[in-house]
Amino acid sequence: MATATAPTRRKSRLNRQGRAAHVFMLPWLVGLVGITALPTLASLYLAFTDYNVLSSPEFIGTANFERMLTDDRFWQSVRVTLTYVLVSVPLQLAFALLLALILDRGMRGLTFYRSAFYLPSLLGSSVAVAVLWRELFGHSGLVNSALALVGIEGSSWLQNPQTALGTLVILNVWTFGSPMVIFLAGLRQIPEELYESARVDGASVLRQFGSITVPLLTPIIFFNLILQTIGAFQAFTQAHVVSGGSGGPVDSTLFYTLYIYQQGFTAFDMGYASALAWVLLVFIGVMTAGHFLLSKYWVFYGD
Amino acid sequence: MREMSRRNVLKFAAVAGLTGTAAACSGVGGGSGGGGSGGTDAGGSATLRYAWWGNNVRQENYTNALNQFMEDHSEITVETEFAEYTAFQERMTTQMAARNVPDLFWVPSAQVMTYYANDMFHDLDGLETLDLSDYDADDIDGLRLDGVHNTMALGIFVPVVRYNETMAQADGATLPEGADWTWDGFTEFAIDYAANNPNGNWAVNYGPDHDLTLEAWLRQRGEELWTGDGQIGFTADGIASWLDFWENLRKNGAAPSLSEQDGVGADWALIGERVLTYLGNSNHIIDDAQFFPEATFKLRTMPVAADATPGHPYLYTPRLAIFGGIDEANLEAAGTLLNFSVNNTDTLRITGLTMGAPVNPRVAAEVAEFASPDEQQMLDAVAHDRALERNPRFEAPAGSSTWRTILTRVSEQVALEQSTTIDAATAMIAELQSAIDRAS
Amino acid sequence: MTTQTLTPSATTGAPASSSARRRPRRRGRSVARHAGLMVFVAFMLYPLVWMVTSAFTPESEILTGPLLPEQFTLENFVNGWNSLTRPFWVFYGNSFVVTISSIVGNLFSCSLTAYALARLTFKARNLYFGIVLVSVMLPMHVLVIPQYIIFSQFDLVNTFVPLVLPKFLATDAFFIFLMVQFIRGIPRELDQAAAIDGAGPFRTFWYVIFPLMRPALVTTTIFTFIWTWNDFFTPLIYLTDQSVFTVPVALSSMVDAESNSGIGMLLAMSVLSLIPIMLFFAFAQKYLIRGITTTGLKG
Repeated sequence: MATATAPTRRKSRLNRQGRAAHVFMLPWLVGLVGITALPTLASLYLAFTDYNVLSSPEFIGTANFERMLTDDRFWQSVRVTLTYVLVSVPLQLAFALLLALILDRGMRGLTFYRSAFYLPSLLGSSVAVAVLWRELFGHSGLVNSALALVGIEGSSWLQNPQTALGTLVILNVWTFGSPMVIFLAGLRQIPEELYESARVDGASVLRQFGSITVPLLTPIIFFNLILQTIGAFQAFTQAHVVSGGSGGPVDSTLFYTLYIYQQGFTAFDMGYASALAWVLLVFIGVMTAGHFLLSKYWVFYGD
Repeated sequence: MREMSRRNVLKFAAVAGLTGTAAACSGVGGGSGGGGSGGTDAGGSATLRYAWWGNNVRQENYTNALNQFMEDHSEITVETEFAEYTAFQERMTTQMAARNVPDLFWVPSAQVMTYYANDMFHDLDGLETLDLSDYDADDIDGLRLDGVHNTMALGIFVPVVRYNETMAQADGATLPEGADWTWDGFTEFAIDYAANNPNGNWAVNYGPDHDLTLEAWLRQRGEELWTGDGQIGFTADGIASWLDFWENLRKNGAAPSLSEQDGVGADWALIGERVLTYLGNSNHIIDDAQFFPEATFKLRTMPVAADATPGHPYLYTPRLAIFGGIDEANLEAAGTLLNFSVNNTDTLRITGLTMGAPVNPRVAAEVAEFASPDEQQMLDAVAHDRALERNPRFEAPAGSSTWRTILTRVSEQVALEQSTTIDAATAMIAELQSAIDRAS
Repeated sequence: MTTQTLTPSATTGAPASSSARRRPRRRGRSVARHAGLMVFVAFMLYPLVWMVTSAFTPESEILTGPLLPEQFTLENFVNGWNSLTRPFWVFYGNSFVVTISSIVGNLFSCSLTAYALARLTFKARNLYFGIVLVSVMLPMHVLVIPQYIIFSQFDLVNTFVPLVLPKFLATDAFFIFLMVQFIRGIPRELDQAAAIDGAGPFRTFWYVIFPLMRPALVTTTIFTFIWTWNDFFTPLIYLTDQSVFTVPVALSSMVDAESNSGIGMLLAMSVLSLIPIMLFFAFAQKYLIRGITTTGLKG
């Protein structure tokens, strides 16, 4: 713009914006320094120590990280978590986007449907979910009762290591209401005028979807993808509630964060737990960076 | 349009903000004084924090008892910290890390030595307000850790076989008696009962993950859970034989599958009406029997192997401790509360006997007057074992605090037939040993 | 802005001119769509329906009995309401205080931060944004203990401060990220127009961006409400006195992990605890729609 032509004016504008930015970010900066940074740095240091929570930490170099290489339960938790992320995130987002698209164009009963689909998310991770899930997937739960009608005798889906993780995937998909709300909000941000002019130009519904809805929704799709992926990597409460904190049967629902929690709070091995946490952070970080790099090719920003 | 919308947002935020701020202040006020480690003011009064676990019934009973205590001792205020068992341990771990620990707290069984190793227990010797005159020296010696008397027992549990007498009578089943009350005799009976009873009931829950009954099994074999020097006291053969015992029952239809009873730890609400016997703690009859009020439950001592090692019976005592870092000015007040908890019959009148039979002989005799029939069963079971010759038992060493979750996991592997019993037992010992080595 | 005069049916996506001829077919399609959605709704809501009916079932029959209770009882509600030595509304009150304060905190602090990160040009911007992302990624379990130590040093245990203060200091970086994404979707021409009119960053934020961010703000509100209302781990650790328990902490105290007694009360109180969130959502939804209709390029 005009200011860019004169270097000094540009610099002063930058300074002014920088000062303003720091004022805007003051609460965050205070929180960063006062609440987040110290514990984060502490956990980074603890990752290189033997720390049993109760007595003072003892520096042991990279021993915690070496231990992971031969720790079967660590690898099991990685397998469980990756499976969970790769299956449940696409499923959940697909459901959320599909339903948001169906509900978006002013239809009758919109409020009702939106609330109905959102209701499961409200219950989310409540203690009651453990009871509900047993009612559905337990030995004499709804699913097995339905199977019995067609002559199949099923056993508990929660107590079978082959299927227990699947029930948690279903639990996650069941709560697709959260990303759906974000999709709906994003869809509503697309100016109606664009569709109006497209219709004037005679564009078909499908074409409108392809050339207006999808491109303008990409920031929101991207956002949901990132957040649901990070959320799935950090999934904790569902497994904690449904398996009673054990990650069972036989570690088949041992989510990574559940393992961190077990090491830190039950086995009193906070050093190892911190090391695990930082490995997860680096992993998610690399993956998110990858998403951001790729996003240049498919995400369309208004700015 | 834009103006309008911003005003709405603002209005919404303002209302929400006012509500929030006003309420937050009241909330802060309501909890004041709870954060510190308790304090003593000039008047000699003290504030103590008391932490325990359980369900809502126990929460209510103990809250009432502590209220009674405050009525009796107006100079002492008790702040309660209650949580469900798992949550209790999460919170304790955090509080200990910050050295912001309740003044009196119950000690989870697997954590006794871990807490002790980190100076969580205050020495109780010489505490004037704690009256030990009723106790035998043996009772107190049994509680010592490294010779130091630093915890009191809330009560005594023993492992038992609980059976549904109503069901047994209806089905015409009689449990083996006397010399036939062996593990083999029990197994034979159980398989026979399950095969022949008209209602398709199981004979027993599937319970390889239960700690007290496993300890009874091991001690009869001449093994133990933990040694006096903080090591594993059992062999792979010992654990494998235990797992084999349960697998035999399950495979022969005498015990439910994991699917049918919802996990290795059976869900009592789910199978309570369909199992004849249940291997567990003596105190559980009090809560569990109430679940099926129309049935009568009875307790039996554990079956005894013909070649059982002498002195195998034992008593398990859940512990109550005073925090090692307590404000010394509050110590005697804490002793008063400790005394109220373990040496006062009226306390147990309020709380009931869910934490087992009193150790204090005088109190144990007095509670018999008001004990319910179920509680009386429990008292008798404990009294029976208490009269027997007993070798010493030792607490789980530091590092072994996850041993029960490991046991649960290997039990699952065995029940799902992913592993042989001996492989599972060997894996359990290896995992446990490395955890203990790491902690030492 | 070109404003087309279209009939309301345009919103269904079909050209208005042919609407008369197509109406019957469209109605048929609409009925089919509703039928499909209703089946799906029934499927989705079955567990909740079971929860509600079970709450009215005697406890001993919940796990073993049929879906529709043979006996109707209120005892689960009565027992649950008074089960923790004080009426359950105390816990509702506490949950409300924490939740509402958290919402205000997140709206305030995250929107300011997000605006700076999305729109202002300054040296450390990328660094800050990186920190925001990192703090979304680190699992909270390893931060619990150090944070507890900090709040414990200030004697703030058993107050709501450890639960609420972090929200006013934008520690829920998730929402910063959400808002940054939304702001980046707002055309820059609007800022530039404001800048040409002489508005500085503060006025631009307040008069241009903040009103346009409304969908993101409402989303933040809804999410904060649900997460805070359901949060168990943090309140469990900071709130030890029963008078300051929140609903999830109270609920967890009801069930005995070993015997599963208390399921009836748990379900009954869970049903009750859903009602405020449902009401809130119904309320917030209205704002969501209204907020949406006033945003975009209009005006």
